[in-house]
Amino acid sequence: MFYAGVDAGSRTIKVVLIHDADRRVVASGLCAQGVRQAVLAEELFQSVLREARLQRNDIARVVATGYGRNALDWADTTVTEITCQAYGVRHQVPHVRMVIDIGGEDSKVIRLDQQGIVHDFAMNDRCAAGTGRFLEIVADRLEMKLQDLGQITRMAEHPAVISSMCVVFAETEIVGLLASEASPANIVAGVQNSIAKRILSMVGGKIEGPVVFAGGVALIPGMSLALEKELKCPVEIARDPQMTAAFGAALIAAGQKSKVNAGLDHCLLGVGK
Amino acid sequence: MACASHGSVVRGDSPAAYFQAQVSNSLDYIKLHKGHGARVVGIMCEYTPRELIMAAGGIPVCLCGGSGEMVEPAERVLPSNLCSLIKSTFGYSLEKSNPFLEMADLIVAETTCDGKKKMYELLGQQYPMHVLELPQKPDDPDAFAHWVRELMKLKIALEKRFSIVITDEKLRNAIRLMNRERKLKRGLAELMKCEVPPLTGRDLLDMKSLVACMPKDQLQYENALKTLPTRVQDTSAGQGVRVLLTGVPLPHGAERVMDIIEGHGGVVVCQENCSGIKPVLEDISEDAPDMIHAIAAKYFHLPCSVMTPNTKRMELLLQLSREYQAQCVIELVWRTCITYDVESACVKRLVEDEMNIPYLRIETDYAPSDSARIALRVQSLFETVSARGSSQESSLKGCCHD
Repeated sequence: MFYAGVDAGSRTIKVVLIHDADRRVVASGLCAQGVRQAVLAEELFQSVLREARLQRNDIARVVATGYGRNALDWADTTVTEITCQAYGVRHQVPHVRMVIDIGGEDSKVIRLDQQGIVHDFAMNDRCAAGTGRFLEIVADRLEMKLQDLGQITRMAEHPAVISSMCVVFAETEIVGLLASEASPANIVAGVQNSIAKRILSMVGGKIEGPVVFAGGVALIPGMSLALEKELKCPVEIARDPQMTAAFGAALIAAGQKSKVNAGLDHCLLGVGK
Repeated sequence: MACASHGSVVRGDSPAAYFQAQVSNSLDYIKLHKGHGARVVGIMCEYTPRELIMAAGGIPVCLCGGSGEMVEPAERVLPSNLCSLIKSTFGYSLEKSNPFLEMADLIVAETTCDGKKKMYELLGQQYPMHVLELPQKPDDPDAFAHWVRELMKLKIALEKRFSIVITDEKLRNAIRLMNRERKLKRGLAELMKCEVPPLTGRDLLDMKSLVACMPKDQLQYENALKTLPTRVQDTSAGQGVRVLLTGVPLPHGAERVMDIIEGHGGVVVCQENCSGIKPVLEDISEDAPDMIHAIAAKYFHLPCSVMTPNTKRMELLLQLSREYQAQCVIELVWRTCITYDVESACVKRLVEDEMNIPYLRIETDYAPSDSARIALRVQSLFETVSARGSSQESSLKGCCHD
């Protein structure tokens, strides 16, 4: 049997199909988020099915997650991205104690206990200053591609100080820095440090490792280094970091398989072990 | 305490139905009595002793603002980074849209936070105002003596303003009335200890009173206490993850977070805040030799975050979490409410280390823009409660097999 996880995020939609025997990923896909969320997600789901040469009937259960999860009425159930992210990452790194998830429009710090259950979590509030959207705006300002931002930070000699707690004001600061002829490398490094500092404030007290970095922003080179510097501990990048929440959703779907009207409480244990 | 046994008894209409018309019920009552010479006294905080006001022939009515619509007018005068409760209360005064405030013969306020204190100065330019200075060190004998003197001054001020004499008999009578109201409200709150509570937290919140000791309210409380324990629940009410809600009060109109919690699988079984159980837990001795002293003691024992240190709140939370079998604690903080915000670090530690249950802090204001984000946090919290529940179950099973 096969199971699907759909992560309808703020900037992209992700679909992961797994096989229940070994929780192996059989196919996955990603597309940009848009106005018609439910339709976009279903189209992506169908194309991932085609890629895996599967029919809809082969999928025993679909779990939706992400901020658009409730719009996907064709999913069997919904689970929050916090729980899904924790499950996806825990499957890869069984003893993980902290997940840093920086996505398109929000960032989260999820702490797991020794049993691998979510202990607590923190999220950014009402502003995108610690998120991927911040990097998109910076890339736009500097007339660069998002994926090239990481490379340029290697040339940073004196990272700029970006103090703003708000993306719009931070953009104003960047305009000011450009006017005073700060190099793009120093500006990008400054932005990455500022995101890492925001994460540090969400982490709060003591840090227990392993710390794993997931979400789309983990794909940008230099971000994990900026985090390591602020957190003063090793930060491992999750495998396929943009897909881990969808993967976690698929794992939860597989865990619910044998239960009629499966509630989450019946499925969360044993997944990923 | 009696709980409904499964499937046995009559089904009643929600007693909360009467309270849907709470504002107009209270308004009718006040208009009637003001017409007969009663004085309307607005209060802003649970530290204000209603007994003294009632002994002076006054009707105490709560003026705390819960409407988000009043925030914008308030911001024409007040800074935007002030808590919604203060702004909403003040906004009503600018819009002249709180009939209770407009009818008030006096407002008795107190120094529970700097924002309120300074707002009262502005409010005092439009309405007659008496401000009680609330000392903030609960364990200091000088602080309590000061509080007693503040109440003595209030007594004199009320006597002078209303040209009456507050006798011991009037005070004793007011104490009796308020004790009765507190007992009824305690009884209702305690119904939530049941495994399947007969009410939702929202029902219970709606059953709070705006006007103290309104006979019609008290009759409803009595009826509810008779019928509720035998009421059979439909599955949508009273079931779910048991939440102990703590932090700031939820004035009339500001119930959004409560609704999000109960709309996503929770039931708020206990409300440790000023719109919940906190102010009704302690009574006043009806035969105390010095009644002002006795009244002062009851109110001074309230564990508000303005007190330092506020160890009583931690003790109370621990006790309530056990009595109400809370599965998690959600702390609500109105944005920029500094004292509750800072104290939340102590509450988090208490919940995680001593209660060993999950804790969630929600910081928000009266604007609904973050409802989806709050819902995500609440749902995630409940997923964690479920996961921990299964984890404990399977470890117990493991023990049995061994």
